[in-house]
Amino acid sequence: MSPAPDMRVAIGALELRNPVMTASGTFASGREYADFVDLERLGAVVTKGVSLDPWQGNASPRIAETPAGMLNSIGLQNPGVEAFISRDLEWLAGIDVPVIVNVSGHSVAEYAAVVRRLEEDGRADAYEINISCPNVDEGGMAFGQECAPAASVISACREQTGRTLIAKLSPNVTDIVEIAHAVAGAGADAVSLINTLLGMAIDIDAFKPCLARGVGGLSGPAIKPVALRMVWEVSSAVDVPVIGMGGISNAEDAVEFLLAGASAVAIGTANFADPQTTVKVVDGISEFCRSRGIDRVAALTGALDDSAIAPRETR
Amino acid sequence: MCSEGAGLLGKPIVEPVTVVRNERLAEGVGLLELESPRIARAARPGQFVHLRVAAGIDPLLRRPFSIHRVSGAHTEILYQVLGKGTRLMSEWEAGESTDAIGPLGTGWHVPDRVEHALLVAGGVGAAPLGMLAEDLADRGVAVTVALGAPTSERLVARDTFESVARRVEIATDDGSEGRTGYVTALTEALLASSAYDVTYACGPEVMARVVAAQCASAGVACQVSLERLMACGVGACLSCVVSTRSGLKRACADGPVFDAEEVLWDESEIPPKH
Repeated sequence: MSPAPDMRVAIGALELRNPVMTASGTFASGREYADFVDLERLGAVVTKGVSLDPWQGNASPRIAETPAGMLNSIGLQNPGVEAFISRDLEWLAGIDVPVIVNVSGHSVAEYAAVVRRLEEDGRADAYEINISCPNVDEGGMAFGQECAPAASVISACREQTGRTLIAKLSPNVTDIVEIAHAVAGAGADAVSLINTLLGMAIDIDAFKPCLARGVGGLSGPAIKPVALRMVWEVSSAVDVPVIGMGGISNAEDAVEFLLAGASAVAIGTANFADPQTTVKVVDGISEFCRSRGIDRVAALTGALDDSAIAPRETR
Repeated sequence: MCSEGAGLLGKPIVEPVTVVRNERLAEGVGLLELESPRIARAARPGQFVHLRVAAGIDPLLRRPFSIHRVSGAHTEILYQVLGKGTRLMSEWEAGESTDAIGPLGTGWHVPDRVEHALLVAGGVGAAPLGMLAEDLADRGVAVTVALGAPTSERLVARDTFESVARRVEIATDDGSEGRTGYVTALTEALLASSAYDVTYACGPEVMARVVAAQCASAGVACQVSLERLMACGVGACLSCVVSTRSGLKRACADGPVFDAEEVLWDESEIPPKH
């Protein structure tokens, strides 16, 4: 029998015991899942987005189920960075797991101020800058849909910290590779993708949208092919590590993302269906490698054989 | 961490469960009995289970159901067929396997020195009140139940209430049994004629809201169990928020039972179908 593979991966300067993280907004800060999952078995906990001041989020209904997926318009409800530090980071300090804090803002200055405050505290291991939330009117995805604003948010955060900085990208763009280049050029150590796809559902009995906000972000298995394509495109074109996410429900899905070029993966909506998905994916990736004699999980990253792909038709 | 016996400590677990019985009680209303020893042992009145309704990825999300009763190793759920998930459930037969997360939520609060409690159930709003009625009766509390439904056929859980309550009053929208009209006409009269220490209500949100106002006028403490669309069920995703005087609360983790005086009804929505 082959020995257990080396599951360690690196994202910039951040070293992880394995490539499986939580996706921001689906796992709070981990406390709610601690009854079901040994958090110390995860590669990292990526927290719910935090802003400078408390945000109330959107009106209800905030979710709608769709085929093999769901729409959400939570709207980054969070208690603000001070409460986050005293409640969430304080609690996470007692757990041996890297903490990646997801940072939100309505303005470039707010993103930078949140990172500055977290740096004063000093307990975050890395930051994921959310320039891709489709559910807020100001900021959020607006920053991630064009190169210049995306780069200015990342530059402003880069000035505040030497820790690993990850830009979370929106799929709601014409060319995600262009945005990835812009944020890497502005100092991002890595990119994570994809955030949710903007979508809609309608209640035909009420003649109304299912979500109070009208539109929301689509997640779940339904978006996996789109996410995988974008991870492949970005990792083929950009030098920084890619954290892949979007509809991963099991180890086989995760391996697809690694082969497409991701250095790590995140589990989001699948946590709702099975709260133990994260650890099952860790075990499943390990078993995938062991059964094939692959001694390091990092060897899977970008190992897709795309040499025989026929050239895409050009006009 | 989710070790054997975790349910004993009151912590929720993911438990494989087997359908023992799935009975159609009325048009679109079913009673599901699950073999679920650990959840059944740990459950308290008013808590809920988050039930997987399909293998695979569609429907993707679990469905939350109040625990209606427990009996030995079995947990009973009352459900209304409203969408894809509950339609699938209605087709389950004995022996079907799935899993449930539970017990979840805070449950009803029974204050000290309660002598007489009023339980108000609208339709399948009877779901979280069955186990409470039994528990109160066990404690020697006198229980009065006001039970309302559209028709006599849909007076679900009536047997449970009649076996433990001192008094069961009935209202139906069509007058096929009991008083004609809404259950809130019964509660108005009951609150005017007897002294209750506490009221427990569950049903359509408009009903809960009227009962809450009646109790406030009568000076009777009132708790309500509220329904919301949920994704995670464990307090992480913030899908199921309820507006309260102390801010947004999560129906799954901070509820589903709320002190009625805390709820800001105008900012709450009628729960949509799922």
